[in-house]
Parts: sequence; structure tokens; C-alpha cells
Amino acid sequence: MSLGKRLAGVAKDLAGLGMEQVELYRKRGRSRRCELEGGARTASQRAEEGWAVRAGGDRSSLFATSTTPPTSGAPWPEPDGRPLRLPDRGRPSAWSASAGFDEPLTGEKEAAALLDGIERGLDREVPGARLVSAWVEDGASESEIVNTLGVEAAWRARSAALHLEARAPEVGGVVGLDLVARSLRGFEAMGAARRLGDLLVLRRDGRPAERDRAEILLSPAVASRVLAGLAPLLVGAGARHRTPRFLDRQGRLGAEAVTVVDDGRLRGGLQAAPVDGEGVSTRETVLVEAGRWRQPLLAWWEVREPSERPSGCVGRPGWRDVPTPGPTHLYLRPDPSVRVADLVRGIGRGYYLLEVEGVGWVDLEADRFALPVCGFEVRDGGATAPLSGAWLHGPAGTFLHRVRAVARDLTFFPLAGLLGSPSLLVSGFGLEPEPPRRPVPVAPT
Amino acid sequence: MALSGIEPAAVARCLGQLATGAADHAEAYFERVEEVELPSDEESPGVRARHEEGLAIRLLRGSEAWMASVDGLSREGFAEALRRVARVQPRAGYPAPELTPSSAEASEPAPEILHFPAAVRRVIREHHVAFRLRLTVRRHRRWRQVVGSRLAGGAELEVYYSFAARTAWGSFGGLLAALDAAAAAAVGRQLVAHFRSRDAVGVGRHAGVTVLGPAAAAVLVHEAVAHALETDTLARTGRPESAVGVRLAASLDVLDDPTTAPETVRRLTDDEGVPVVRRWLLREGVVEQPLADLRSARESGILAPGAGRRAGRHHGPVPRSTHLEILPSPEPVDLLADVEGGLLIPEATRGRLDPWTGRFLLEAPYARRIVGGLPADRVGPCRLAGRVSDLLGAIVGVGSEVEVAGAGWCAKGGQLLPVWARVPALRLEGVEVES
Repeated sequence: MSLGKRLAGVAKDLAGLGMEQVELYRKRGRSRRCELEGGARTASQRAEEGWAVRAGGDRSSLFATSTTPPTSGAPWPEPDGRPLRLPDRGRPSAWSASAGFDEPLTGEKEAAALLDGIERGLDREVPGARLVSAWVEDGASESEIVNTLGVEAAWRARSAALHLEARAPEVGGVVGLDLVARSLRGFEAMGAARRLGDLLVLRRDGRPAERDRAEILLSPAVASRVLAGLAPLLVGAGARHRTPRFLDRQGRLGAEAVTVVDDGRLRGGLQAAPVDGEGVSTRETVLVEAGRWRQPLLAWWEVREPSERPSGCVGRPGWRDVPTPGPTHLYLRPDPSVRVADLVRGIGRGYYLLEVEGVGWVDLEADRFALPVCGFEVRDGGATAPLSGAWLHGPAGTFLHRVRAVARDLTFFPLAGLLGSPSLLVSGFGLEPEPPRRPVPVAPT
Repeated sequence: MALSGIEPAAVARCLGQLATGAADHAEAYFERVEEVELPSDEESPGVRARHEEGLAIRLLRGSEAWMASVDGLSREGFAEALRRVARVQPRAGYPAPELTPSSAEASEPAPEILHFPAAVRRVIREHHVAFRLRLTVRRHRRWRQVVGSRLAGGAELEVYYSFAARTAWGSFGGLLAALDAAAAAAVGRQLVAHFRSRDAVGVGRHAGVTVLGPAAAAVLVHEAVAHALETDTLARTGRPESAVGVRLAASLDVLDDPTTAPETVRRLTDDEGVPVVRRWLLREGVVEQPLADLRSARESGILAPGAGRRAGRHHGPVPRSTHLEILPSPEPVDLLADVEGGLLIPEATRGRLDPWTGRFLLEAPYARRIVGGLPADRVGPCRLAGRVSDLLGAIVGVGSEVEVAGAGWCAKGGQLLPVWARVPALRLEGVEVES
């Protein structure tokens, strides 16, 4: 039975309960995973299929999901007295899907070969190093949505994720790496091994920085993590009252070099889709343009001002999840003319921070952030000493004001949605050997 | 919507085709899950009901495992999962048992969750305070049955509730075995305590006596004893069985016993279909029986399985605790007596164990100074950190009264599992607590 026919039956039932607007969503997915843990190997395959009904009107609403399709005449949970509106059809935008959706899912042997290749490469990079925990997962899904206001859409998704944890002799603890790609073929065993090897060597040989304040070059991994902490200033209706305190007199949230964009249909983006989780067309939304704050990322029902433009930005990770607005591909726009090597060469005295080493914090209320990082000390454009166990810290709300240059190496990371940044040259931030304390009032002694 | 229509003998016959080696283990895991959620007042849509059912088939052969999971309960789904685990295309389809999918039916009404937010607000008012509160309440019901090629457990049902509260000064939540007046009173009191501590100043650094209330002690023992003694944690740094006989604390008895958990979540078998046991993790401070699943128990040769848990059919079993107990002091004891200038930590928001370094962190939303043997001024958020062995070695007193406390979600390894505890308060000396 088509989704439209099924909707007709369900909508008739729910209209009788006072809910005129009804949405029906179906998602089917399959994935394969290969996992190494403590010397044991597990290969697994999942096949998932689920349905979600969201219905409401001025006075009541409900949300029901199931692994069995909803049918006319089925009993429904008692709706609750909260209003709900659904989006109407809107104007559909042209869409052409990226390549790679039709590749078959990775087989068990391919996945195992990738992990074995990484392990061999790792041992070459750092003798004695080994993977202690690793998994690779490759998945594909198809989603369909219809509603009684004319929305009708279907889209596909395809992505693979790789998680690695490694340790080596004379290295305290483990180092980790998470990568995403369209499919397993997007991962390169030697590249992953080299990155893990670099992290192990930094952990082994690196020293925490002395307390210092200098020019700092942030890799995409570090810059994206800071950007994730700044998301409340960029996403959702709440940003309207959170962000103004960080604007300068010209209404700027960042330096001239900073342009921040959210784009649900980013060409080649792993989450690129013609519509969002409610069936609303996705599009590019400029949130910060050459430093100037334009608007927060807003779903259609969050728009209030005539100057604000809504965007299809409602996420729906799975059929069990209630649609919720959030970033799609949120990124700081790269400058294609700037190479990372040029930025490193331009540093007289400073640091090149490569990876985040653990859990940090961003406190917008107190306007502070702190992140544990590793990388290199840089003198006269060259790396002079490895750095590990250092804490990058400074003001959070004015972070984007302190960006001096933006490179071209935009990279995305699976944080809250896909967040991306190129390398950023920043100033006005400090490094500490110890984790800076979060601002909490302390009793006099 | 109970799990029915599964014939263990027919399922076991099918699994027998997979388990061809003498040491092979094959099992089929069936589940039905229902969750009814009442979101906070400001959220729409209103009542949310989630029903799902499905199965997973797993073959364990030495240190390798193959698993296939599908949504829905059907003969075709079972046969497909079986084929994927066997990893061959058979000439003839595997004979598969008939499985009865649940008929479409509404969730059983859950009036208790509809009334719970109002009951909590009433308790808060009785304490003469008022603040903006967003409270989400859920009822969880899970039916599951595991059938092995040689062993078949019966169907078991778990019913419990969870809540998540958001206030201007933070979010917290927990699990409840029942949603009655006592639960509303406990959650209300907890919220009032958080409210009254919202502007409390930090403790700075404190290094005297620290007393952990039962809720905080439950988090400590979950992180520092249970996680530390899970075979997947132990396997990261050596052979799990080598932990047996190691002294971790001066004198502390810690058990994991799913059969004595609150009645609605009591278990007779684990998620691998193995009967659970009353497992002594620590007896008088010495490691006796780490938490093991079937795979790690087989590899060790001496560990007892029965602690394999899974968040659902799409996850593989992992060794985890279910219901932790600390045996109380047999004699009545007041842990606060004669303490001057100590710190009482009534509850903890979370704990974290680094399996590589053995370092442990316990975070608390607030604490109270102990003056003249009684709880006095509140202090703000604080944390207790150190090596597990140092923290457990610092326990100098165990309370005499146990409470069901500190129930919450364990999220280790990405699997969200409900965990329960019945513990007394603990007195520690020489540990450092800081803001």
C-alpha cells in the first residue's frame, strides 16, 4: 500500500479525534558493522523499518511510532491537549542526489581487511602500537514522508563511520579517532594509521605547554569542536536573545574572515537531502556573513521577523525520534586561496593545535571555554616541540572576533549534526598546563 | 502486547543448524518494547507512544561472533537473520518457526504518568518554593525472551519509569520502579534541594571526612566497582580472570543480584538467556567474581556468565551490572557522628571511570558541610576524583540502613541500560573534594 493511501485511512481516524493535520513517516535502513574489542571480533547486520505518525490540531496532538505499519481502524493513544501545526507543501526545489548511494554495503571481509590494514600501518608508524577497540559501520536508508497539507517527499541517505582506539608502549592511556565518509571506500587505512600514529607520538613525547598566550593555528578538528560549543549562538530561536551580547557596535559576531553557513543540501555533504525531517525543502542559510550576524538557523515555525528566512533544518535521526530543529551541515566557510602550510609559515611564535584530547567545556553564560588539546609549538614557521596535555582556553562568545585567517581545508565532524571548519589562525587565547576551572563562586576561607 | 507465540523447541531446532561445532553457541533474542512519554508542558506533540518488536540471532564461535537483527517478528525475518548469520546461501530455505507479531493495539493507558508532574509540583509547593520546571516522564515496558540451541529461558517483563527535569540551574533525571506518591515526594524533595543549592558557593578544596549518601554511594559503586570489574574493561589491560583475588578495598561487600532488584525489574535470566546469579563482586574488599558475559566467561574458563545485557536487539550483549548491593553494617551506626567540618554528598549527577588509568570522577550537584555531626550549610557543585583503589581504600565506614537509591541510565559503550542499586551511605577519609 502506498504511503499516500495509508495516510488517507489514518487521517480519517484521527480527524475523528479532533486532529486535522496528520503526518506519516517511514524509514527503512540496513547496516553492517565489524567490531574489534579485547581481541574478539563481531560482525553484525541490522535491518530496520519503522513508522511514525504525528498528528494534531489546535487543541490536541500525539506522536506514535511502531515497527508495524499504521492502519485505519487501529486504536490510538489518547491525544494530549497541546496544539501542533505541520508544514504545508511549500515550493519544492530542484534536487540531484550525489553519487555513491547505490554502492553495495561493505562486506564482512572488506571491513575486517580495513581494520587489519590500519593495525598493520599503525605498527609501522609506532612499533608495538595496536588497536584496542575499533569498529566500522556502513549504512544506507530510505525515508518517505507525507502529510495532509500536501507534503510528499522521499530521500535516501548513505554514510559510513570508523571509530578507532589505539595504545602503544610507553604511552599513557589510549588515543582515539572518529571518521565519517560516504562509504567504507572513503576510508584510507594508511591515512588513518598515520593520524593515530601522530597522536600516539604526541602523547608519548609531548609536554604540556607553559602558561602562554600567542598566535595559535587550530586544525579543523579543534576549530569544529569550538564551533559546536558556539551552536547556541547560531541555531534556534533562543539565539535571538543569547547572541546580541557578543556583537560589536557594527553588529558583528566575528572577524571579516568569518562566514558561517548551514546548508542541508551541501553538494557532497553526508547528510545532504532535498528535504528535512518534516519534508520542508532544505537550502543554504548564511548565519554570519563576513563577520556580520544575519540570523539564527530557524525552522519554519520559529520565524518571527520579516528579515528572517526559515530553512528546512528539522532533524529526524530515526523513526523513533520526534522531529527537532538543529544544524544540518553547519560550517565556517573556507578561503580557497589560503593553504594551511602558508599559515604555519607565517607564525613567528605560537602553536599549531591538531586534535582535541578529551572532554572540554564551553560556558556561554560565563563567556569562557576550555579544551584539552595536543599539537606542536611553532617558532619561525616551523614545528619545534610536541605538545600534549595542554588546555586551550579563552572567551567563548567573542571567539569568532579573534579569527585572523581562514584556510581552505574544510573538514566535517559528526558532532551535533555535521559541523565543519577549515584551519583557523586565532589570537587572544591562552594555553595552560592544567584544566582551567569553570567559573563557580568559591566560599571565602 | 505480551511476547507470545514463540515456540522455543522450534526456534532451538533452527538454531541447531547454526551451532555445528561442539563449542558453538547460537541464540535468538526476541523483544517487544513499549514506551509512553509525557513531555514537559511546553513541548508538542503531546503524548508519545513507541511500540517496537524484533529479533536478533547470534552465533558465537571461539572469539568470533556473527549477529543479525531485524525489526518486526515474522517467520521471514527470522529466516533472513538466520541466513545472514550462517553467511551462506542455502540451496533450500532454512525452515523457520512461525512467529506471531503483536496485533496493532494502543498502549495501555498510563494515567500514573499523566498525574505525576502535578504530584511533584504539589510536593514542591509544600516546601514553600516555586520555580519553573520542565518535567518529562516515561513508562518503559520491555518483554524479552532468549532461546538458545541448548537452553531456553522464559519470557520476562521489565516495567519501570524514568524522569528528566530541566530547571534554570541544570538538568537531571533518574529511574523509578513505581510512580506513586513516595516517588513524587522523593523527586520533589530532590528538586527542592537543587533549588536551594542553586547559588551556593563552591567548596574550594576539601580533604577531611566525606560522607556519601546512598544515592551518591550507588553511583560510586557502579562506576568504581561494577565498571572496573566488567570483563570488557578488564580485557583492555590484561586477562579478566587475573582480577580475581585482588584486594580493592579494606572491607566492603558489593554484590550484583538481578533477582533482588525492585519487583518490576527483577530478572531470572540475562540477555543471553543464562540464569543470573547472586554475584559477589567484592567480598570483604577482595574481588571474587567479575561481571562476565558468555563469551568472556568461556574464554576465561573460571568466570561465571549471567551478566550479559543488551540495550536492544540491534546491540550485542556486553557484561554489565543490573542491581548492585552494598551489604550494610550489621550494627547501627551514625556515619556523621563526631564529624566536624566534613562534607556530606547526598547525590551524584554522574561518575566516570577511565579504564586505562584507573582514575575515577564523581560529580555532585551540591553538598552540605557537616557541623557538630549534622548536615549544615550547602555548598555548590563539586567533584571527587582519584584512583579507584585510593577511593575504595579510603572507605572507613559503611552505614547500617540501606535504601533503593541512585537508579539511573548507564551509557557505557553507547548502550543505554537501566541500572538499580540498594546501598547504605559510605564514609570516606582522606579523599579530596573540590569545586
